Amino acid sequence: MTLALNNLTIYRHGEPLLSIDVTVPPGQVVAVMGPSGAGKSTLLDAICGQLSDPFSYSGDIILNDQRMNTVAAHRRNMGILYQDALLFEHMTVGENIAFALPRHVHAKTTAAERHEQIAEQLSSVGLADLQDRAVQTLSGGQQARVALLRTLAAQPAAVLLDEPFARLDAARKDQLRHWVFDTIVQRGLPALMVTHDPNDAQAAGGPVIEV
Amino acid sequence: MTRSKVAGWLLIVAGMLGGMPATAVTLQFHAWGGSAQVNDYLQWVAGQVEARHGITLKHVKLADTSDAVARVLAEKAAGNHDQGAVDLIWINGENFAAMQRNNLLLKNWVSDLPNFKLTNPAQNPAMTTDFGLPTRGQEAPWGKAALVFYYNQRYLSAPPQNVQALLSFAHTNPGRFTYPLPNDYLGISFLKYVLLALNADNPDLLYAPVNADSFAQVTRPLWAYLDKLHPVMWRQGDYMVRQASHLQQLMGSGELLLAFSFTAAEIPGAVTRYDLPETVRTYAMQEGSLANVHFVGISYNTAHPDAARQVVNFLLSPEAQARKQQLAVWGDETVLDLSLLPKAARQRFVSQSSHPAALPAGAINRLLPEPHSSWTDALREAWFERYGARW
Amino acid sequence: MLRFPVIALAVRWIFISVLSLPIIAGVVGVMLPAFGYFPALGQDTFSLSVFAELWQVEGIGRMAWLSFFTGVTATGLAALLAIALLATFYQHSGLHTLQRLLSPLLVLPHAAAAIALLFILAPSGWAARIGAMITGDVLTPQWALPYDPHGVAVILALALKELPFIFLMALSVLTQPQLQTRLHKHIKCAQAMGYATVTAFIKVALPIIYPHLRLPVLAVLAYATANVEIPLLLGPNNPPTLAVVVLQWFNHVDLSMRFQASAAAVLQLLVTLAALASWWLAEQIVASWAKRMRLSGQRNQLSSVIQVFAWTGALLFVITGVLMLTSLVVWSVATYWTFPALLPEGVTLLHWQTALTALTQPLITTLVLGIAVSLVAVTVALLALEAEAGFMSKRTARWQQWDKIAVNITLYLPLLVPGVAFLFGLVWFQQRWLAGSVITHVFVSHLIYVLPYVFISLAVAYRRLDPRYMKVASGLSKSPWQVFWQVKLPMLFGPVLIAMALGMAISFSQYLPTLLSGGGRITTVTTEAVAVAAGSSQRLSAVYVLVQVMLPLSGFALAWYLPGRFFNPAARAKRRQKRIAANDTGT
Repeated sequence: MTLALNNLTIYRHGEPLLSIDVTVPPGQVVAVMGPSGAGKSTLLDAICGQLSDPFSYSGDIILNDQRMNTVAAHRRNMGILYQDALLFEHMTVGENIAFALPRHVHAKTTAAERHEQIAEQLSSVGLADLQDRAVQTLSGGQQARVALLRTLAAQPAAVLLDEPFARLDAARKDQLRHWVFDTIVQRGLPALMVTHDPNDAQAAGGPVIEV
Repeated sequence: MTRSKVAGWLLIVAGMLGGMPATAVTLQFHAWGGSAQVNDYLQWVAGQVEARHGITLKHVKLADTSDAVARVLAEKAAGNHDQGAVDLIWINGENFAAMQRNNLLLKNWVSDLPNFKLTNPAQNPAMTTDFGLPTRGQEAPWGKAALVFYYNQRYLSAPPQNVQALLSFAHTNPGRFTYPLPNDYLGISFLKYVLLALNADNPDLLYAPVNADSFAQVTRPLWAYLDKLHPVMWRQGDYMVRQASHLQQLMGSGELLLAFSFTAAEIPGAVTRYDLPETVRTYAMQEGSLANVHFVGISYNTAHPDAARQVVNFLLSPEAQARKQQLAVWGDETVLDLSLLPKAARQRFVSQSSHPAALPAGAINRLLPEPHSSWTDALREAWFERYGARW
Repeated sequence: MLRFPVIALAVRWIFISVLSLPIIAGVVGVMLPAFGYFPALGQDTFSLSVFAELWQVEGIGRMAWLSFFTGVTATGLAALLAIALLATFYQHSGLHTLQRLLSPLLVLPHAAAAIALLFILAPSGWAARIGAMITGDVLTPQWALPYDPHGVAVILALALKELPFIFLMALSVLTQPQLQTRLHKHIKCAQAMGYATVTAFIKVALPIIYPHLRLPVLAVLAYATANVEIPLLLGPNNPPTLAVVVLQWFNHVDLSMRFQASAAAVLQLLVTLAALASWWLAEQIVASWAKRMRLSGQRNQLSSVIQVFAWTGALLFVITGVLMLTSLVVWSVATYWTFPALLPEGVTLLHWQTALTALTQPLITTLVLGIAVSLVAVTVALLALEAEAGFMSKRTARWQQWDKIAVNITLYLPLLVPGVAFLFGLVWFQQRWLAGSVITHVFVSHLIYVLPYVFISLAVAYRRLDPRYMKVASGLSKSPWQVFWQVKLPMLFGPVLIAMALGMAISFSQYLPTLLSGGGRITTVTTEAVAVAAGSSQRLSAVYVLVQVMLPLSGFALAWYLPGRFFNPAARAKRRQKRIAANDTGT
């Protein structure tokens, strides 16, 4: 799985804001560094198909040799993680993950099996017994881990990260950072991270693009 | 008789025999809804016609009967000739005159009602005359009323017995009497009563169609009287109530000491319901009481003329009329000629226990028939001309 | 199969037309007869003769003036008091108490407020009875209220209804996240320069808030100048306000009065416009005066005046509210109650029994209509908002601009065009082409009034939703429909219920639209309450008003209660624990 951005340029009111040309191979995290206001989040919006006026873009977004430019956002299969976990508060921890499971998984498994699977995943990240909890009752670090599990449960073809660790305190940040990057590498997913924190970029271990 | 008339007649007879019920229809009975007693009575009627004829009767409670007249008129203007919103309408006087003038009522159906004969129309022209206008079979009589006065005994021991005494009462008790605007039925009735009382010597002009001379002559004393009355009325006559029911409310709250009504029976009824103080007493003026009959009409564009006729026929039945006359129910005097009824039916009309607030038996000294209907408009227009366009 | 975003877009356009078409049609339907064109009555040429005749009507100038005067005065009073309250209580612990006290009055139907006020102002009410205890009178006093010739009672009732609306609108502006922090800082800054809190609010915060308040205030003003039920119940009738006379003329037996009524409705439109223009002018004058005042350097300017005004206003308001409610309750169960006794002789449930029997049908109609209208309104508003967030956000700026203007105009159209100026025309159209279906007519005329409020109320919550939630869900391969149905709706469950309750409250309170479109065939609790208010039984009237009060409040109570029970895993977990605990103790 590969994510390629070919001569991608973001415009604001028709004025070029940022340009990028990169290919992200499987299992690599590319970091895009830049000050706030540089259009980093807008770049991710363009990639996942959520760009709205006054922004526009030119160039190609290629995922696994397939041009994504005209594909609807929900068919691009690109998971996204923000600095906030953004867990759905009307669902329990387990329901958040079950919600993300693709339709074919739902079709092939029973509810009990899914429950079992989710329990395993949760315990593998040290969140055993939290499946039926309300998400509001989790700590920030716990929420972040559930958020990544949710993203991965959807079986994405690529992962986009928008300042994923900006809200965490220094100790947790380090711990979570390694866990997230390790998981992405293990799964062999291409990942693009925008950040203004050089430590993030360094920890990602991949190329760093300054914009 | 046309074929449809025969069919209608048969339906009525069949309904009376309790045989096959007519097909389920819903009728809208547009009737003034300001009195709890009347509303309750109509609810009872609805239950009866549902049980007897399978007709669903809905009481559309009007604040002002002219609203329904305007509605039928608007439908006619809009070309809706057979799906009218108004099936039955409770009217008399000028609303009837307006509907008749504009051909808004179903014609020549009253004499076909089996129960209409019980009003003895041949001997009793009041059953076929509405404010001097012949009804031409377009409305059936429903009840009778006379203008009676009531006062609060707690503050007033000797109420006025004639119009002059009424004026001096108003002078000694400023702000404690008023009458509704003349576009209200009770309001115009008050004007007519004063007019008749002030012209007691020569009332004939009032029973002929109005003309400029007769109008000027007859109304001169009326204006002089009202000019003196208004400044000492409730709120100096600046605000006048729009509806008769508001007059009763003011009597209930104690703001007025003297008021009047066209339905004597509603007074004790209102006392029982705590809406009027216990110390209220009803009486009739010595010089006579204005009296009239009220009617039920069927709109020309009703979708269910036969069912509507069935309902009116039921309203004229001894059972319905007797119940209506009961003080506890409504107390509206029957239009039936009791001498035509079999003894058992007549028994129903024997009055029950009397109420201290009720009009004592035989209190009405004499009846003053309504003036010719042409006087109503003339009187009202002149009143508004003189005292301002109040709406 | 149609795609969801397309449906949402279609609904947005339907939304715009549902609001604007009936109003445009209605205004046309009133304009034509006003200019002498009404073929049904044999008039098919245009002329100005109807206006010439209208001008001859005695007291027409006074009627127009009364409408203008009562509307402008009431709105001025309400706006000033609302601002004074905000300035005084902005950083005060009393703000939330005030908010709680005023909120119920917001949903109280105008008719109910007017009838309730009637109970206090009447010379047989408690105020008069207490007065009589002192003076020793045995007869009711003869004071000028209600029905006074200058419409003071009308002004009081209008102000009573408008104050909560303006105040709560301002409060919702104040609590907008970005604005709130900005204002806090501004006021802190001014305070640091030695300005008194109240003065700081007026000089620094008000100029920022007011532009957000202008449209709601103008809507209130337009409504106040053309309201029918309040002047009908409390106003003078020698002459009455213009709106009342329009109603009377349209319902007149003499059909030719329709011409005059239509012309008067057009005049009403002009009166409302004049009121809006005067308000704008007054704004300019006040603004230029305020500019000079702002730079005067005085630190305590108006501070004490405003505080006294606010406290007096708040106090009077609370006393009035409490008196209204207790009066209604006492009257609704009163047996005989002679003046000047402070309490009735006894207590009875007779009036409640009578009223509830009589109200069964209207109550069902009111509820069914209210629920149906609100459901449709909430659905339409949600889809219209969805189209804004989905389709519209991907269009060019110019497209979005036009779309926004169209929506804003249509939103405020029903609030700015007086009902008496278009409802009669609308009814005429409905009679002409769709005579059969009365309930549809009432439904449409209610929807016209319910939609804007539901939309405005939902839009706030909808636009406040963090868009990243949708992006996350989209990244989980959820289609726009799934995002809408499984993420947005549950997250908006609370606001949706509040919008439902608001929609029902607006529907419950409609008097003129129900009366006219229904032609008397559709009776609701509100039309019945107005009919009974001028009826013979004050006690029955009290029951009707209490029912009117309880209806919207129970809707809001449900809207507050339900979100805690549904789409709330925390509550679910708690319930489960309780159940387990109960089972444990049971066995």
